[in-house]
Amino acid sequence: MMSGTEETTMSQKSKDAGLDRRNFFKALGAGATVAVAPVAISPAAAVDPGKEETKARYRESEHVKDFYRVNRY
Amino acid sequence: MARMKFLCDADRCIECNACVTACKNENDVPWGINRRRVVTINDGKPGERSVSMACMHCTDAPCAAVCPVDCFYTTADAVVLHSKDLCIGCGYCFYACPFGAPQYPKVSNFGSRGKMDKCTYCSGGPEVDLSPAEYQKYGSNRLAEGKLPLCAEMCSTKSLLAGDGEVIAQIYKERVVKRGYGSGAWGWQTAYRETITI
Repeated sequence: MMSGTEETTMSQKSKDAGLDRRNFFKALGAGATVAVAPVAISPAAAVDPGKEETKARYRESEHVKDFYRVNRY
Repeated sequence: MARMKFLCDADRCIECNACVTACKNENDVPWGINRRRVVTINDGKPGERSVSMACMHCTDAPCAAVCPVDCFYTTADAVVLHSKDLCIGCGYCFYACPFGAPQYPKVSNFGSRGKMDKCTYCSGGPEVDLSPAEYQKYGSNRLAEGKLPLCAEMCSTKSLLAGDGEVIAQIYKERVVKRGYGSGAWGWQTAYRETITI
């Protein structure tokens, strides 16, 4: 008896707030579709390393030459 | 064009783990991740051998072949690098790699993985060379500084060689000729017939 009264009260509360408890996720889904649509249209960002990223960094500096020399001992 | 390679002379490796420590310190590698490890076979028995292992920067890298987000790329130095911005931590590369090179930080409980981390041949990542962002994600970029990976440079017995594949192969050949015997690598006689001298 007591719980029935409370349920009615809660349902009334959500109706007062302008969003029915049973339609909450429907409303959320519709909103999300609108929000996501522009993001889905943007092109996928696959890895595309440019020339700067893949350029050769190794050079036979004096430091490297010393490394090769001492490894020959 | 020079191709960067690692070569571990198993006759010289004494399992001191200095390469592991040097790598962790130089690249500020987080807890639980070892970009380089020393593997010992027949530990404690006569004829035990130790080999220092990390990413071998494969020419046709299996990690890159299985990556669902295609975050791997190979530089002109033949170094295999990856983008942590794209990595989703799926773990496919770990299963594909024959050397167990890809590692994952433990970011939380329940087995969730963070971004994959692996040896970068001390050459950073896709960020601007020697930038703080590059250091934070991938560690130091010694190649851009005209140096070689610190693991190899620190090796006290000169077991771990790094650099241009042609040059270090020549250095190793000279060592083999001087010693009078080869690496003694297991499986070579299976792979190259019993006539091969190892």
